Amino acid sequence: MGTEQQVEKFSLAARQIGAEVFQAESLSAAARYVAEKLTGNLLLPAFASGARAELKSALEKAGARVETDLSRETAAQAEGGITGVNFAMADTGTLVLESTDEAIRLATTLPEKQFALLDPEKILANSLEAVEPMRQLHLRDPRNYIAYVTGPSRTADIERVLTIGVHGPKELHILLVPKLSSDPLEM
Amino acid sequence: MNKQRNKDYRQRIDQALATPKLQDALHKFGDAYLMSRGNAFANYDFEAMRTEISAMKTGVRENHAVLLQQFIANAEAAGATVYLAKTAEDANNYIAELAKKKGAKLAVKSKSMASEETHLNVALEKAGTKALETDLGEYIIQLAGQRPSHMVMPAIHMFKEEVAELFSKETGKIEPAEIKHLVEVAREQLRQGYFDAEIGITGANIAVAETGGIALVTNEGNARLASTLPKTHIALVGIEKLVPTLDDATKVIRILPKNATGQPLTSYVTWIRGAVPCAGEEKELHIVLLDNGRSTLAESPHCQEALNCIRCGACANVCPVYQTVGGHVFGHIYIGAIGIILTAFFHGLENAAEIVRACIGCRSCVAICPSKIDLEEIILSLRETIGEEEGIGTGKDLVFRKVMRNRKLFHGLLRAASVMQKPVTKGERSIRHLPLFFSSLTEWRTLPAVADKPLRDVILQQPQQVEKPRYRVALFGGCANDFLYPELGLDLVTVMNALDVEVYYPQEQNCCGVPALYSGDKETAIELAKQNIDAMLEGKPDFVLTTCPTCTMALQRDFVEHLKDNPAWAAKAEQLAEITVDAAGFIVNQLDGADLFAKLASQEKVTYHDSCHLKRGAGVWQEPRQLIETAGHELVEMAHADRCCGFGGSYSLTSHPDISKQILKDKLNDIEASGASCVAMDCPGCMMQIRGGLEKQEMPVRAQHTIELLAEALKNS
Ligand code: SF4
Repeated sequence: MGTEQQVEKFSLAARQIGAEVFQAESLSAAARYVAEKLTGNLLLPAFASGARAELKSALEKAGARVETDLSRETAAQAEGGITGVNFAMADTGTLVLESTDEAIRLATTLPEKQFALLDPEKILANSLEAVEPMRQLHLRDPRNYIAYVTGPSRTADIERVLTIGVHGPKELHILLVPKLSSDPLEM
Repeated sequence: MNKQRNKDYRQRIDQALATPKLQDALHKFGDAYLMSRGNAFANYDFEAMRTEISAMKTGVRENHAVLLQQFIANAEAAGATVYLAKTAEDANNYIAELAKKKGAKLAVKSKSMASEETHLNVALEKAGTKALETDLGEYIIQLAGQRPSHMVMPAIHMFKEEVAELFSKETGKIEPAEIKHLVEVAREQLRQGYFDAEIGITGANIAVAETGGIALVTNEGNARLASTLPKTHIALVGIEKLVPTLDDATKVIRILPKNATGQPLTSYVTWIRGAVPCAGEEKELHIVLLDNGRSTLAESPHCQEALNCIRCGACANVCPVYQTVGGHVFGHIYIGAIGIILTAFFHGLENAAEIVRACIGCRSCVAICPSKIDLEEIILSLRETIGEEEGIGTGKDLVFRKVMRNRKLFHGLLRAASVMQKPVTKGERSIRHLPLFFSSLTEWRTLPAVADKPLRDVILQQPQQVEKPRYRVALFGGCANDFLYPELGLDLVTVMNALDVEVYYPQEQNCCGVPALYSGDKETAIELAKQNIDAMLEGKPDFVLTTCPTCTMALQRDFVEHLKDNPAWAAKAEQLAEITVDAAGFIVNQLDGADLFAKLASQEKVTYHDSCHLKRGAGVWQEPRQLIETAGHELVEMAHADRCCGFGGSYSLTSHPDISKQILKDKLNDIEASGASCVAMDCPGCMMQIRGGLEKQEMPVRAQHTIELLAEALKNS
């Protein structure tokens, strides 16, 4: 898990499908990256690795306007949303987000800009390797809403021309931050 | 046959053919699709993957009742309400009732073919609930009041100008026909709907028995919104979407987007199990499992494999008929090859009666199907069923039953034709014009004249000098080689003799039965199978050689299939199948004889056309290329070498000549663009079509059978 090669493979695949991948040295570097991309509000739902790393204060220090009270109204107004990642898959550049908590879904479906903090340790080779943690998530919780996210939202429904950003986020920024969490069962 | 229905169908074909823009779009899509698909599978073993999917889905069919119970129990344990709907009406009623109970004014929908199948929107509208399609393609179609013309890309037949016009009507301002802008308009127009709607309706690509959850494979993000914001989520799911475990679901997800659109993975895969939190409460999740003909399909021994389909839509993407006329002609609600089958079972045989004959039988869908479904075989068996119900047409009926089954009469008539045609052939080998109402047959290609003497006669006069033959082989000529191109059979004798193989021609052999089978007359096909088995096995040949891959498939596959339950014939059919082999494959694989021709030919620029049944039936495509190159020709590949030439037997003569002509045009363009002066192939049917087209267009390219090129090389030396 988490070899340099894996990270490279993941980054390449993710970029190929239109995601931005940023190798952050530290959480504060990641926070600065995020703040620079935004003028409006940033939704920050609660998630374990973020709380542990005191993400909120890092973001605020970097100058982001952080919104932690997530409702349909605040989500509809926000420009961005940031979450952690449970784990990722290198071959397709995919993020896996356990999104049963509705706040996670609001933060990742409604705003135009999606930010995801990923510990490189959590990159698996492919979806077949992902089956086991998927199963664990299903065993742990009685109900699930789990999302594989691969790039920003897209369509080719008009004349088969690929167009980025339809109903979901128009931008997906993946921030590789070391030492956040190595547990695929937690975000 | 229903006259009005047929007339409407013909009109739709004419309309589609009169829209070159549509054909152009579908062709470009087909090319781009193959490119991106190739990239998506670059590091994967497609054959291994699809073998796994096929085995898994077959297992699901066999254990369906158990898995269904497991799924329902797990889904309910997670707080979902599951409803099993027998019919489309049943499903619609359940959903409409629910909408009423919720007092729902608005339901947002993400793309669901199952809801197209049941015409759910109409039912909801009646119940006072407006159904708003949010998938961009579906939204466009809904505004246009049309139905999808592709299962994955519903609005693939529409152009940005049309979309701009539709959107302008919605927004009340003039929206420019720029795709990026139009996508943005859709985003804005639909956004509020998710917040206002009381209900979100989705389909599902997979239902996982292990978890009781469903998975949605999507790109736009609308399904995520529709399954998150409204308080109630209804998922309408065909019962064939079941898979046993998360491992199996993952395998489907690995192959589906790659094969559907050439994407490694869609933007989103959403796994939902049970009633998840929603605005501080619990969401109400209803899973409506739709049967609507699927159980009947599961019981049909010839068609049940169609339930293995994972709805990738690829069978349409690569279909030359689809590319020529689109999904509004070649489909009902479901389109393309799988659409024919699903229509017959979900929407009734009568709705499939025309499109079941629109398949040209090229098997390109079979080669691309991620569930390894033999779509062509299923379509043939449906054609037979429809033939029984509606008749196959009196003229054909007479020819097949009364004439073809009686070999002497059939061949006698062909001999008579050779004499009677004299006024039109004027002694030439090609018929360039036919008089009066037959004229349309030679409008876009010449037709070969019936030979003065058939192969079965002339071959007897050909002296064969093989001292110590390695093998004695029986030649199965097939009607075209026998009566139209006897010289091809003689060339085969020359080539075989040079390889120390002796050839004889069993005189009792008859038509292989494919024309009857393709027209839905299986009885005649079975009768012909028996006649041919006896005829070909009688002289105890080492091998039976064919020059026509369609005949090869008949001898190798169809005869066995027809007679497998007949104890008197099954073993004999197997025996014949085992020793039957096409000529090019025989030379390379059995005789290891390519080197005999090394550098004998006077070098020519040759391009190769893969015959559908040779490449995708017999799996032979390298061998003829090897032979041509070894003989010293310069082989140049044309684009779409393995795309059908549009012949399809009676398809091009009577059932769909207009579509056939169009497909031939594509082939001629590819041949011309290759710059070759000769196009080689291994099928007399393709020769008839391609040679006929080249002659009519007066193109300076000759069309030859590979065996003819080899004989030529030998004579050269
Ligand atoms: S039949 Fe095969 S190719 Fe056609 S849609 Fe189904 S899975 Fe795809």
